[in-house]
Amino acid sequence: MTQAATNTPGSSTPDLMVEMRGVNKWYGDFHVLRDIDFEVKRGERIVICGPSGSGKSTLIRCINHLEEHQQGDIVVGGVPLTQDVKRIEQIRRSVGMVFQHFNLFPHLTVLENCCIAPMWVQKKPRREAEEQAMRYLERVRIAEQAKKYPGQLSGGQQQRVAIARSLCMHPDVMLFDEPTSALDPEMIKEVLDVMIELAEEGMTMLCVTHEMGFAKTVADRVIFMDQGQIIEENAPEPFFNNPQSERTQLFLSQILGH
Amino acid sequence: MIHNKTMIDQRPAPSNTLGPVAWLRANLFSGPLNTLFTLVGLYVLYLLLVPTIQWAFINADWIGTTRADCSREGACWVFVNARFTQFIYGLYPRSEIWRANIVFGGFFTLIAWLAIPRLPFKRWVAVFALVGFPIAAYVLLHGGYFDLPRVPTHRWGGLMLTLLLASIGMIGALPIGIVLALGRRSNMPIVKSFCVIFIEFWRGVPLITVLFMASVMLPLFLPSGISVDRLVRALIGLTLFQSAYMAEVIRGGLQAIPKGQEEAAAALGMSYWKRMGLIVLPQALKMMIPGIVNTFISLFKDTTLVMIIGLFDLLGIVQAALSDSNWLGFSLEGYVFAAFVFWIFCFSMSRYSQYLERKLNTGHKR
Repeated sequence: MTQAATNTPGSSTPDLMVEMRGVNKWYGDFHVLRDIDFEVKRGERIVICGPSGSGKSTLIRCINHLEEHQQGDIVVGGVPLTQDVKRIEQIRRSVGMVFQHFNLFPHLTVLENCCIAPMWVQKKPRREAEEQAMRYLERVRIAEQAKKYPGQLSGGQQQRVAIARSLCMHPDVMLFDEPTSALDPEMIKEVLDVMIELAEEGMTMLCVTHEMGFAKTVADRVIFMDQGQIIEENAPEPFFNNPQSERTQLFLSQILGH
Repeated sequence: MIHNKTMIDQRPAPSNTLGPVAWLRANLFSGPLNTLFTLVGLYVLYLLLVPTIQWAFINADWIGTTRADCSREGACWVFVNARFTQFIYGLYPRSEIWRANIVFGGFFTLIAWLAIPRLPFKRWVAVFALVGFPIAAYVLLHGGYFDLPRVPTHRWGGLMLTLLLASIGMIGALPIGIVLALGRRSNMPIVKSFCVIFIEFWRGVPLITVLFMASVMLPLFLPSGISVDRLVRALIGLTLFQSAYMAEVIRGGLQAIPKGQEEAAAALGMSYWKRMGLIVLPQALKMMIPGIVNTFISLFKDTTLVMIIGLFDLLGIVQAALSDSNWLGFSLEGYVFAAFVFWIFCFSMSRYSQYLERKLNTGHKR
C-alpha cells in the first residue's frame, strides 16, 4: 500500500475529524507537500514519521492553518478550511496543538497560561477557567507549580503544561509537533506518559514524532513521509515488522538500528 | 572506585576576598598601572569638584531680591529665586496661579499613585489619569467655564508648559507608535505602505522643521477663518514626530518575540488583536522599556525646541529672563537651574524604568 487515497471524495461525516484531499503546498519553488490524501476518524491515534524535511510538521500545521496550503481541500470536523478568518479561528478552537519548543507564554504564570484562551476566546468567567485549568494541571501532574512562571520549570514540565493549556480548550483533535525532540532524555518519559494516558482516554491524536516505542504502544496507524509525500501507511505491527517500501525500510533501519 | 563517602559541607569563602578593603584592592589598586590610573582619576575629580562646589554652594548668594544682594564671587541664586514663579508658570496671571497649582498637585499625585505599588485601584486611577484628568486640567488651566477667567495658551509657559507638552506627547506617541509598528509588520499592502511612508517621513525631517511647518505653513493650508491654536499645532507636530521613533523602537521589540509565541496564541484560536494585545505586545513592550523610556526622555528634552515658534517652555522662559536688563550677566545660573530641573525629571524617568524592568522580569527568572 503506497497511497492512502482509498476513500471517495465528498462531504465529511462527523466521524471524520480531519480530511485532506489532493493537498499541495510550495515554499516558493520548493514543493513541500505533494498530493496529500488522508483522513483521521474520531478517536484515531496516528503517528507520522519520516526523515527531517519530509514535510511532516508542515502537514499537521496545515490542519490548523499555521501554514497555508495552495491546492486541495482540508476539512476539519466538518468545517472546510478556507481563507475566511472567522472559520480559521473556529477550526483552531477545536484543534489543540503542542509544539516542539513548548511555546508557553513566558510573561504569564502556568495557571494564567492555561486560563488565557478559555477566558478571552471562550469568554469563561475567571473562576471557572481557573478551576478547569487546575483540573487539567492535576491530570498532567503539575498542579503544584501553577503559580510559577514557565522559565522556572524544566523542559518536561513545560511541555506537560503546554499539553494542559491545549486541553483547556476542549479540543476535538490534538496535534503534536515533535513534542519530545527538544527534551533531555530523562524528561521524555514524563511527557510520553501523559500522551499515552490521553490516547487511552480516546482523544483523537496526530503526532509527529521519532519515538517509535510510543508509536508501537498507542498508534492505530503509522504514516511514513518522504519528500513531501505519504509513502506508506499501515497499522504499527505490519509497519514495523514488514515495511513495504524501500525508503521506509531504510528509514526504519537507520532509526532502529543503533 | 568511590572517592567520597560523605558529601562535603559548604564552606565560607576566604576572608581576603570579602569586605571593603578587598574590594578596593581588587577594583582600584590591583596593579601598578591601575593604581596610577586611580590616583590620576582622583586628582582630576578633585580639580573639577572643588571649584564647582565652591561656586554653587559655599560662595553662593541665596537670599535677597535684587542683583545688589549678589556680592560674593559664587553663584547668584537670588536671580532664580526672584524669577522662580515665572520659571514655573510662565506668564500665567499671578491671580490665577492657584488653578495651575491644582493641576500640578493632581498631576504629581496621579503619577505617584500609579508609581507606588502599594496603592490600590490602579486601573481606575489610570483611566482617570488618561481621560478625566486631562479634561479637568484643560478646563482649569484654560478657563472660560464656570466663571473662571480665560487664560489664552500663549500665556502658559515655564515648567508647566514643558510638563504639559511632554506628558501629552508621551501619552499620544506610545499608542500611535504601537499601531504604526504593528502596521509596518502587517501583511496588508496598503496598511503596510502607509505606515512605512509615515514613519520614514517623520524620521527624515528634523523636529525644528516640523515645528516651523506646524506654525507657519499649516495656517496657509487651512481654510480662512479656521485657526488652530499654536500650542495645539506644536503638540500635534511633536507627538507625530515622536510616534515615528516610538514605532521603530516597538518594532524592534516585536521582532525579538519568537514566532512560536504568536503561533501558540493562534493555535488556541485567538484573533489577531488578542494575539497582539495579550501575548505579543506585553512581552515586546516589557523588553523595550529601556528604548521606550529613552524615547520619552528625548521627547522631554525636545520640548525645548518649541521656543523657536514663540512658546516659552522652561528653557525659553529662562532665556527670556536673562535678557532682562536688571539681571544681565547671570546666564550661567539660569542655565544651570534649567539643566538641573530637566535632569531631575529625566533621571527620575530613567530610575523608574530600571525599577519597572526589574519588577516585570519574569521571563528569565530561574
